[in-house]
Amino acid sequence: MDEEEYQKMIKRCLRCSICKWIPQVQIKSQKYATACPAIDLYNYHPYSGGGKIILALALEMGRIKPSKELLDIVYKCTECGNCAISCKFLYTIEPLEIIMRLRERLVEMGCGPMPKQKAYINATKNVNNPYNEPHENRMDWLPDDIQVDHDAKLLYYVGCTSSYRRQEMAIAAARILNAAGVSFDILEDEEYCCGSPILRTGEIPTFREILNKNINIIESRGIETVIFSCAGCYDTFKVDYPLYREYNFKVLHTVEFFSQLLDENKLKLTQEIPLTVTYHDPCHLGRNAERYEKWEGDEVQLMPLISINIPPKPKRTGKTGIYDAPRDILNKIPGLKIVEMERIKEYAYCCGAGAGVKSAFPEMAIDTAKIRIDEAEDTGAEILVSACPFCSTNLQDGIKESNSKLKYLDISELLLMALGLDPEKLQLVLGGET
Amino acid sequence: MLKKQILEEFQKIVGSKNVDDSDVMTNAYSYNWCMEFVNCMEEKEQIPFSPVPRAVILPSSSDEVQQIIKLCNKYNLQFKAQSTGLGPWNQPSSENCIIIDLRRMNKIIKIDDKNLYAVVEPYVSGAQLQAETMKYGLTVHMPGAGPQVSPLASATSMNGPGFTSPHTGHSARNVLGVEWVLPDGEILRLGSTGLKNNSDWYNGDGPGPSLRGIMRGWAGAKSGIGVFTKVAFKLFPYPCSTKFNLKGNSPNYEFEVPDFMKLYVMDCKNYKYLEKVFYRVEEEEISFICSHLSGYGLGAIFSNSFESLMDKIPIASMHAPLLVLIAARTKREFEYKQKVMNLLMKEFKLENAIGTTFTPNSLFYAEALRSNLGLHGFIATGGFQSSKGQCDTAELCLNTTKMSIPLKKKYIRKGVIGNDFGEGVWITSYESGHYFHIESPTMFDQTDEKSVKGIAENMEENYQFDLVKHLGAPFFVEGDRMHDLFGPHMMNYHHWLRKIKKAFDPNDIADSGFYISAK
Repeated sequence: MDEEEYQKMIKRCLRCSICKWIPQVQIKSQKYATACPAIDLYNYHPYSGGGKIILALALEMGRIKPSKELLDIVYKCTECGNCAISCKFLYTIEPLEIIMRLRERLVEMGCGPMPKQKAYINATKNVNNPYNEPHENRMDWLPDDIQVDHDAKLLYYVGCTSSYRRQEMAIAAARILNAAGVSFDILEDEEYCCGSPILRTGEIPTFREILNKNINIIESRGIETVIFSCAGCYDTFKVDYPLYREYNFKVLHTVEFFSQLLDENKLKLTQEIPLTVTYHDPCHLGRNAERYEKWEGDEVQLMPLISINIPPKPKRTGKTGIYDAPRDILNKIPGLKIVEMERIKEYAYCCGAGAGVKSAFPEMAIDTAKIRIDEAEDTGAEILVSACPFCSTNLQDGIKESNSKLKYLDISELLLMALGLDPEKLQLVLGGET
Repeated sequence: MLKKQILEEFQKIVGSKNVDDSDVMTNAYSYNWCMEFVNCMEEKEQIPFSPVPRAVILPSSSDEVQQIIKLCNKYNLQFKAQSTGLGPWNQPSSENCIIIDLRRMNKIIKIDDKNLYAVVEPYVSGAQLQAETMKYGLTVHMPGAGPQVSPLASATSMNGPGFTSPHTGHSARNVLGVEWVLPDGEILRLGSTGLKNNSDWYNGDGPGPSLRGIMRGWAGAKSGIGVFTKVAFKLFPYPCSTKFNLKGNSPNYEFEVPDFMKLYVMDCKNYKYLEKVFYRVEEEEISFICSHLSGYGLGAIFSNSFESLMDKIPIASMHAPLLVLIAARTKREFEYKQKVMNLLMKEFKLENAIGTTFTPNSLFYAEALRSNLGLHGFIATGGFQSSKGQCDTAELCLNTTKMSIPLKKKYIRKGVIGNDFGEGVWITSYESGHYFHIESPTMFDQTDEKSVKGIAENMEENYQFDLVKHLGAPFFVEGDRMHDLFGPHMMNYHHWLRKIKKAFDPNDIADSGFYISAK
């Protein structure tokens, strides 16, 4: 969205509140009708997608000035983009892009981001990860028995959260690749943060530096395909990087890659897993993983006030999000029963962790996770499954905080068990533990 | 902002996190759709912001609303209550006003499937309530503003036509028991809810004289006569199977159209003929939706973007189309309704364009069942608002349409409103043709100064036109100026309205900007 579009769009909110709900035709109950964690938790209209558009306009018009109240509203948002899906059911406004641009504005004005976000941005500058962990420990997750091929043209980009916090995901992904006989490389000490947590706060100059560094390294190694088990890294590489710089490698999430391996019979699922699971679509793997399509058409004025775009301007509505691949994997696991939550795919409810919220507003992250846990519990599932280390951390925290009996597994862990490669974990899970 | 002491007293009622008087919050609540041309009509700065409220407060119960209003009386602060909050009538008209945002009052209190009514709080949306009533094979009347808005607001405080009005009536006709916090802080319970013994929500009138007319009259008081905290309204049989399955992704969902639904779009060619057909179809009491829309309007409700409207030319070029949706719960009922429609089409020598010259996407049926069609009015220019709004016979509604074309064309020629050939109206029957509603959606661009000025002038001229031509009171007769304009021509109703305002709001605490002042 360029400046001209931004200035025009912030004047177009109808204040219709459509952004607060999932698409109207998808509402199945009163309990799970809503789309936006921020307005669900904080109630005042400005916390909604539309409310933030009003704030953007009020700021441009000089009606309001940067303040702690403004920062609280603008940064208490996971940028999950659910508001945008509902808004764009009919309209052409881009609430998510406006929110991102509003954060950029606040950074440019010297007010944003939030102190804890500034701290993790500094950590990323210093030690290449937002957790402020030593860079030299980045590969600590890698067991000795995993085969890595430094000549491979396939790269597994592990990401900071899997490297330092959710190592079980990285291990499972690497073991699955080994099981399929797929050669892959890892960047090791040349792997740095993808920049996602920085981009989402509006700190664009730092993000630019990071993306340039990452693209340079990957291209210099002649990598053809990069796979990610982190939905955030995947989305950032796939959707956001090309807005700043094109690159010459292919990107896939591990669920896409593993689903292909299953279709090609390179993975044999031998172990029955007699459990009922429900799948949580990560925002970064689902609706937000849809690329921006370049549009080079013309806006033709048909008559006063009415123009059309020739060809029609593509609308990002989450239609090409990765929804089928994880479900295909789960459906192929013997004995596994999948039950769906009410809010799924492009209108899935957020886990609550994204866009710096987990760091700056941990209570918001947990309260949102609890809402999602409640929804998962209502399906009758025993296991909540997802495909993102950030969702994993926050949903597991939510499970603990809400004393839920639900267990959480990453889809790669489940797949590893179905391959018969993690019998110990399977026993734990069947025994009610994870 | 509020004085510290007053703020603290509000905080005692609702808790500190549920009242906010910061600039950021109050400015955000001063924005609304159409405010720019409302300001223009009032010769104020042409911006989408109203006067800024002094604070925003979020009560969670009727008791808290009552305490808030008593405090407003104590400190001579006006209040404006809002539920889902769409439209300029949710805005304060003075700077001595707080917003009572009823968002935390969001419970469905009761669904009585035997006696066919539901009791809800202000922030239950139409879609939420419909989703829950569908579990009992029932549905609710949802206003034309869309399924995301509050049926309580529509039932108590707004006008309330909807696309399913042939089947589900009009908000004024559906309201039963009401809990009403008056502007002096007293709680009044209307209808059977107010009975001393065995009170319940099943009836909206009495005990003693009914106050339903005083409560909402024709178009509601837009919070100018208090706050409605609970309301019961009628439920209706869901018109077909309640299976509601969609495939694909937004917005291109494929809907598994329930058995026993059929859509008819017939070009009646001229308004006189359309009137005859309209009456005859509705006399048969078979329709779920029965609406006349202009060709453009018809194209719009089948489209989710202006670009996709372009391939609807076969129906968008119709001169006097009538859209009828029939739905049934059994095969026999469906066959009967189809047979009637076939006989009527034969009698009037009409053809159904659906399935011949045009086949809508299956999603249309889902949106029709969920009453999501009105929002399609925004797809061309990003903004629209309706002039007209009368409730009368089909003849008057269609005469109004015809007579108003030159006026609309005048503004289309100026290039300040969207071109619908001057024919852009929506007419629906209520309750199988007992009466009819007309409104004239007029497209404008809220980002274009000339367009905003243009629609303001268009609205103004329409009011004068309706008055001179005796076309009845429009939709938005609100505020002193409008009531003073129309009242003298309509049996001086405005005098009575003022007496009501004075009696119920002696301290003038309920903001009357979109109602009437006691003067």
